Amino acid sequence: MVQFTLPKNSKINKGLVYKKKHNNHISINLKVYRWDPEENNNPRIDSYEIDKSSCGPMVLDALIKIKNEIDSTLTFRRSCREGVCGSCAMNIDGVNTLACIKPISEVKGDIKVYPLPHMKVIKDLVPDLSKAYKQLASIKPWIQRKNKDKNKSISSKQLMNQSPQEREKLEGKWECVLCFCCTTACPSYWWNSDEYLGPAVLLQAARWVNDSRDTERKNRLSELNDSLKLYRCHSIMNCTRSCPKGLNPAKEIADLKKAIVTEL
Amino acid sequence: MNNNRPLSPHLSIYKKVLPAVFSILHRFTGIGLSFCSVIIVLWICLIALGENYFYLFKQVSENLMFKIIFIIWTIGLFYHLFNGIRYLYWSFGVGMDLKQIYISGYVVILLTLASSVLVWFT
Repeated sequence: MVQFTLPKNSKINKGLVYKKKHNNHISINLKVYRWDPEENNNPRIDSYEIDKSSCGPMVLDALIKIKNEIDSTLTFRRSCREGVCGSCAMNIDGVNTLACIKPISEVKGDIKVYPLPHMKVIKDLVPDLSKAYKQLASIKPWIQRKNKDKNKSISSKQLMNQSPQEREKLEGKWECVLCFCCTTACPSYWWNSDEYLGPAVLLQAARWVNDSRDTERKNRLSELNDSLKLYRCHSIMNCTRSCPKGLNPAKEIADLKKAIVTEL
Repeated sequence: MNNNRPLSPHLSIYKKVLPAVFSILHRFTGIGLSFCSVIIVLWICLIALGENYFYLFKQVSENLMFKIIFIIWTIGLFYHLFNGIRYLYWSFGVGMDLKQIYISGYVVILLTLASSVLVWFT
């Protein structure tokens, strides 16, 4: 359902301000979304002032510095710190991205950090992604092979060679790290997250639909052919705009629609 | 333990990036155009009603408010037209790289302004 305003328990209050102790260096200001399930309060925005000269180049470095030196209760997901794992997805300076590959120098003024938009918050910058993962499972993100001749079964030892041309069809699809930056940037997904699969999952669907080793292309396409699952995409392009890996979910979705029209 | 998890902020904090603004403008102009087309049709109908209504037609045409609405209507019409062509291309999966999205967006603005100026000042 379309609801433009936040529910009562999600309205954001003013938070605490942490000032720097020594005022002799250039500082960075971070405004971070905080919510603690242990307290019965609404979310708040805390403000942190940190020393630029002793901080790493990325926003994640600043968050880690805050957690180490100022406020150890600040909670966020992170792991690889180089844009490979997709854990530290959050909304920085108004656009979803990975904190570990977002340079502080790219942000003008205060750095505003929020969790991924329109998600239930577990704590601080950690959103609940379980629904998105369920949707991912629903498109069966694994190779399916069925033999046309039902008497013969395909041996698991049999090699499944892929030509360079066939492999090239997966370019721009396999690189997705499932950070769900695109899905949570999509207004269509905000209003229809129960039915619409969202760009990240549809990109994965395209990845398996276009795999030459998979025999269920037609079945996959007909399962996607649904006014809510796929056609809630209205080419708003927020997905492509926000993808930290530079992929193009909107184009993959358009290609899926085209494949459904021409092949089914 | 508070299990009543809040919803993270969305519309209010998300940056108004160009592709998204174009998309919502396309919808707004679409709704606006369909409402205004009724007014425009009624206005044209006045001519068909004969000479008794010509005075009314003239009065409406010279009304400043009507003129402003009419100018906004033409701008909206051109925007909806050119952006619609852009969306048609996207339906074929053409011109969907981020760079092309931005360039075609600026082209739509340019064409909209140029066409509106052409219609009203030549």
